[in-house]
Amino acid sequence: MSNEFAQFQDSFFEEAAEHLAVVEKGLLELEQHPEDLNLLNKVFRSAHSIKGTAGMFGFSAVAQFTHKMETLLDLLRGGQKVVSPLIADLLLKSTDCVKTLIESLKSGAVVDEETVQRLTTELASAGALDSRQADSSGKKMDAVPLWSGGVTRTYSISWMPPDWLFQRGVDPLQIMKDLRCLGNLTKVSLDVSRLPRLADIDPERCYFAWKLQLTTEKDRQVIDSVFEYVRGDSGLSIEEVKTKLEVQQVSQGTDKTVTSPSESDGPKPLGEILVESGVVSRQMLDQALAQQKRVGEILIEQKSVTPQQLEQALRKQREQESLTQAKKPDTTSIRVDTEKIDKLINLVGELVITQAMLSELGSRFEMQQLPVLLERMVELERNTREIQERVMSIRMLPIGIAFGRFPRLVRDLSAKSGKKIQLILSGEATELDKTVIESIGDPLTHLVRNSADHGLEPPDERLHHNKQEVGTIRLNAFHEGGNICITVEDDGRGLDRDKILARANKQGLIGENERPTDDQIWPLIFKPGFSTADKITDVSGRGVGMDVVKRNIESLGGTVTIKTIKGNGTTFILKLPLTLAIIDGMTVRVGKETYIVPLLSILESIQPKANLIRTVVGKGELINVRSRYIPIVRLYEVFGSEPQYTDPKEAIFLILETEGERAAVMVDEILGQQQVVIKSMEQNFRKVEGVAGATILGDGRVGLIVDVRGVLAISRRGHAIAA
Amino acid sequence: MTGMVRDKEAKDLNQQAGSRADASQFLTFSLGDELYGIDILRVQEIKGYSAVTKIPNTPPHIKGVLNLRGTIVPIVELRTKFGMPTIDYTAFTVIIVVVVQDKVTGLVVDAVSDVLHVEKKAIQAVPDFGNKVDVTFLNGVGKSGDKLVSLLDIDRLLLDPAGKDSSMRLRNPNV
Repeated sequence: MSNEFAQFQDSFFEEAAEHLAVVEKGLLELEQHPEDLNLLNKVFRSAHSIKGTAGMFGFSAVAQFTHKMETLLDLLRGGQKVVSPLIADLLLKSTDCVKTLIESLKSGAVVDEETVQRLTTELASAGALDSRQADSSGKKMDAVPLWSGGVTRTYSISWMPPDWLFQRGVDPLQIMKDLRCLGNLTKVSLDVSRLPRLADIDPERCYFAWKLQLTTEKDRQVIDSVFEYVRGDSGLSIEEVKTKLEVQQVSQGTDKTVTSPSESDGPKPLGEILVESGVVSRQMLDQALAQQKRVGEILIEQKSVTPQQLEQALRKQREQESLTQAKKPDTTSIRVDTEKIDKLINLVGELVITQAMLSELGSRFEMQQLPVLLERMVELERNTREIQERVMSIRMLPIGIAFGRFPRLVRDLSAKSGKKIQLILSGEATELDKTVIESIGDPLTHLVRNSADHGLEPPDERLHHNKQEVGTIRLNAFHEGGNICITVEDDGRGLDRDKILARANKQGLIGENERPTDDQIWPLIFKPGFSTADKITDVSGRGVGMDVVKRNIESLGGTVTIKTIKGNGTTFILKLPLTLAIIDGMTVRVGKETYIVPLLSILESIQPKANLIRTVVGKGELINVRSRYIPIVRLYEVFGSEPQYTDPKEAIFLILETEGERAAVMVDEILGQQQVVIKSMEQNFRKVEGVAGATILGDGRVGLIVDVRGVLAISRRGHAIAA
Repeated sequence: MTGMVRDKEAKDLNQQAGSRADASQFLTFSLGDELYGIDILRVQEIKGYSAVTKIPNTPPHIKGVLNLRGTIVPIVELRTKFGMPTIDYTAFTVIIVVVVQDKVTGLVVDAVSDVLHVEKKAIQAVPDFGNKVDVTFLNGVGKSGDKLVSLLDIDRLLLDPAGKDSSMRLRNPNV
């Protein structure tokens, strides 16, 4: 397969993922509003697009399976079937199946053929069920007159009126209008082939003919009756158009085997054909296949190569394989609003103008022009800042993308647990960085699962507590300062202070006699292995997960807080930076080196008095910060650089906190606070312990960004992991 | 015929270098009085030496990182890598920026000298020094006039996974 084609494939995968999301979302909504034809059409269109493009790329398994879905969807669309929970469920499962099929195309993973087969048959049988079930609940059916079959049909009508039409005072337009009263006149085309040259036209004769398409619930006779007065000499044909799905069903009926997807994939192997034609038996074939040797073995037998040479060649092959696998680029792309790009282009235009003005000014600069120069510089700064903001905003995507998976998740959880759950999403349009969106999916999923499983009570318990039977989970996102807040809120039973406290006592996290405040208790649930669930379900309760949530969020530079009222529900508040590409940093100096410490982890900076520094066992240094002892980390020791001061009395200490751990990091000087753009060290080098990344400083030199966690780890260990 | 190829000629040959299978071109540079060659197609650019930022806890031959038009590029001090004594940098000290498996790395060398055109046949295999001298990152040796040019295999030089940098010695500097 050529590279070019592979490139298109990528866009197919992307597009298919988008369409699948539409299908899934649409199906979930359809479950609630089965009569919404617009929604159904949307779902149908997306499914159809997947089928079409998959076919175009020769992904026949996907195309065939999607076709089955489409057939069923078309039945629903045509009103022959109604979206029952059963059908919705089947379609959702099928959507998952298409997902796995596409995934397997992408990664080469093996597909569970059985599931595909089972769903294929289920889809077919769901389509074949008689419509009794539909009649009982379909609102559409109520309006159907008695004399119709209750089924919409499409007729293709070709009408060539007699040329005396006008002379008898018949208006063809009236006939069209009559037809339109019967149903939906989808196509009207005029045939002017009989029209003579202008000079030969007799204005009282009709030269026209029409081709019409009518979708109606009425019977054929009713259509016939419209043409009653003109039928005599008309060329009239009314034919029912078989919809695609009916044709498909017919072909299915006659030859069932054709539709099995696995068999129609490409030509069969030679052995299969030989077995089929009876030349050899299956057994003989298997034996022959077992004897088949690999090229290497044959070559060794022929003494063309030595086993060592072969081994070498094989190793080389493996290396190449691993190389190509490693090199396979992980293509990611963003769809950007054209408006954003237009604005950016506009700004770049302004920047170019400012630059031109500046260089002109510079070419013949006189001292009295200094104010003009300063003014231009201000303009340049403004331009640059705006461009920076705009460029960042290109990476911004609405968080709705991350929320998209939850309706389905909650629906499934609700079905599994027997709880009635309603999910309310808000703030989906809030924008944040693509990488952040990608990484919050899992933590959010865990929180939602947690709310559904532990937070919300079963319906009878809710009724008992005078609550609505249906529990609510609310996901909200909004901007706050330079951060984004995401809240996961449930109106369930809330956290049980006593239960957590008891558990904490048992695990020795909190002493028997301590009286911790609420704010000290709630974070305990983020401790690894901490679970108060009475029973473990397969959804959650094993005590793993909440700690992962916290760690994930913190690795993104965010925080998690909990608000809870017993009996009223729990709210998890995630606070995340808008972007991972820029951080607020404190620039500090150690000797000649400049480092950047993420502002988020700095609690305060102090210059301590000598009597506040104490040692333990002669070496371990501690600093007393408002009667709390914090271990000292000398940054120059960790980074092996030459400091200006080695005496703690002259140095400055940054009190840092990460993962609930505090340390006083000793530096020579604080230079200032600035936003820095994070540059990857791994792109051309590799990961360095204690360094989170690098950035370009104002003077063009490279400054290293301190990884607080890594620095503390090195300091504890006493040395860095050998590179 | 091996020999020095200069200026214009070099430019012409440069363009053909990729297509000619029987000969290749090498950028030669000096470390002390030794000449080394790097396959010219692997060289991205040559730039004057400028101050680097030290990276903590890395082997001594990693000088640090440099801002190369917005990307962070590690700089390798080739003398240290080869176990030669370090010298003060002069106006001739340059950084040769090479590309190894999509990664950009800078090599600090004493001076660049020439572009050398070597026919495949004229490349000699590296003599075997046994365990005394590690020459695994040499592809062979060629000639430039009456001087010997050691042709570097930069993939092996820079991607050495064993990390035996400190023990790696091309020659004994005291001899």
